[in-house]
Amino acid sequence: MNAMEIETWVVAASAGVAAAGLWRHLSRTLARPLRPERARPAGSPAAGVRYAFTTGMMPWAKESTRIHLLAYLRGIVFHIGIGAGVLGLVLGLWAPALPGGSRLLLIAVLAAGALAGWGGLTARVLEPGLRALSTPDDFVSVALVSLFLSAGALAWWDARWMGAFLLLGAATLVAIPFTKIRHCFYYFFSRYFFGLFYGRRGVLGAAHHE
Amino acid sequence: MSEAVRPEAVAPPAVAASREAVATARQAFEKALDRRLIAALEVCARCGICAESCHYYMSTPDPAHVPAARAEQVRAFYRRQHDPIGRLFPWLVGAKDLTEDDLDALQETAFASCTLCRRCTINCPFGVDTALIMRAARGMLTAAGKAPEMLVMLADAAIARGENADEFREIYREIVTELEQEAQERTGDPTLRIPLDKKNADILYVGLSGAHTILPAAIIFHEARANWTLSMFEASNYGLFLGDPAKAKAIAKRLIDEAVALGVKDVVLTECGHAYTALRWEAPTWFGGEFPFRVRNIEEVIAEYIQEGRLDLDPSANPEPITYHDSCNLGRNGGLLEAPRIVLRAAVEDFRELDPHGKESVCCGGGGGLVAIPEWEEIRLRAGRKKAEQVRAAGAPVVATSCENCNLQLTDLNARYKLGVKVVGLMELVVNALLKAKGRNALAIADAA
Repeated sequence: MNAMEIETWVVAASAGVAAAGLWRHLSRTLARPLRPERARPAGSPAAGVRYAFTTGMMPWAKESTRIHLLAYLRGIVFHIGIGAGVLGLVLGLWAPALPGGSRLLLIAVLAAGALAGWGGLTARVLEPGLRALSTPDDFVSVALVSLFLSAGALAWWDARWMGAFLLLGAATLVAIPFTKIRHCFYYFFSRYFFGLFYGRRGVLGAAHHE
Repeated sequence: MSEAVRPEAVAPPAVAASREAVATARQAFEKALDRRLIAALEVCARCGICAESCHYYMSTPDPAHVPAARAEQVRAFYRRQHDPIGRLFPWLVGAKDLTEDDLDALQETAFASCTLCRRCTINCPFGVDTALIMRAARGMLTAAGKAPEMLVMLADAAIARGENADEFREIYREIVTELEQEAQERTGDPTLRIPLDKKNADILYVGLSGAHTILPAAIIFHEARANWTLSMFEASNYGLFLGDPAKAKAIAKRLIDEAVALGVKDVVLTECGHAYTALRWEAPTWFGGEFPFRVRNIEEVIAEYIQEGRLDLDPSANPEPITYHDSCNLGRNGGLLEAPRIVLRAAVEDFRELDPHGKESVCCGGGGGLVAIPEWEEIRLRAGRKKAEQVRAAGAPVVATSCENCNLQLTDLNARYKLGVKVVGLMELVVNALLKAKGRNALAIADAA
């Protein structure tokens, strides 16, 4: 078994750990009651949910993101970078040779994501309010993901970094269910409940007041 | 070591009571832990973007007032109980065992430093429902005997009144008869009635303690030729503030039973934000389904009368510039954003919006039961600074609102920050415009109250 095959197995095993961990989160959450609202709706819950995942995520949709536009965009770039990181990980294992333009685009997105990650980490260290709010997990998780994205950008630039990228990818996958990274999973629950609540009450999405 | 001589078995009474309080609080938390609460506890990335959405933080920019920091007090023991890393390496994820000291600290956080206004929720990129977390915390504290005594007392008094309604009925009838005479004098209309216990009325109107919520409504219903009757009970529900579903349900049940017994089509609640949240939005969930009547707020009904041409209003009765404060319970969390504006556009000459308003309206700081708790008055008034600045910036000498608690808080803010404004309820403005159209004098609600 060569190094690449070993790395493939390590990443696959890590993905298995992540999947099992998230499955545990899912089953633990679903084991709790839903307690759906029974009141007669004043608006459309479905429209609220649609809003929550689309227009409601736009930077101009909320006062907070208008105030913290830079921080919000940094977060968006970071998360797009993470998406590219997962894609880069899969391609690194099974299709390591990409056409030039696609490869450069992947490198650019990974590098931008990494920069956004390190920028976020720096802000968390330097801004007293944010630092006071943080747990060690916040620093460790953002640093790990930023390292993963940095290694990804390097690996797709120079294949000698591919081993480090795959191992960091494996570490990130294992970390998902155990660290704050799992908010990527709960995001869907939270935004869904948010949309349901405000859509039903006719505040967000299309309202039809009685 | 035998059971009899274990240290915990012979703990002094204070220690045993402390353990009991913590255990009870934990049980209450576990009972409240549903899917929505798990999502709210798990999803926060502590990005801090919510800071400026909170009126406490806007008024006093202290990191402890960031909504995420507030919720961390609950997340700390949630992680200790429910997160494997929180159990193994609590320092890594900010997990912590719950102690009685934590409960004491949580009391001020949950009851005095959060009005459950959900402005942070609407501003959070994840939609974290911090109010839900704080309400769960309130439920824990209530179960552990650490809720503010005043709120407990008010909730218990409301339940007792429901259980002994017949004892109050005759006294109440006499008070209502006097009010009826006053309303007749004000309107010059001897046919005006304030019906009580009227079967098959279209509307059961629920006021608050005090004539100021009954008199204007009686005039409005009379002018609109509505088929209505007055409730024996008041609209407020202090069980909601306590995060105690059993008490909240018992208080709501009085109104539900009354409405069912009278066979009304609509229960119309007076100008009270949390009463609307409790009966319109929460109670059907507590009771497991919709009621055989609609629950509405008086502003919705007045707006409907205006649109149907059932009220003759003369806006020149309210000539001064008037701004409107959205109650968080009615507006952002209740969906009543347009109805009060329909009323204002018809009843006043110069309506000006606050900035921001509507779903982004800043909480006045009087919600969550805080106006009822004298010991936290200073915290409440400090937290209202942002709203006071907003009112001053609007440049309107009159501030209207459709919530009693907001009205009380705005009146206190007016005095504290020397705003020089007059705070009024929407019904008062409508009645002024009605009476002017009939060539009568304004209502002078302060006298009626």
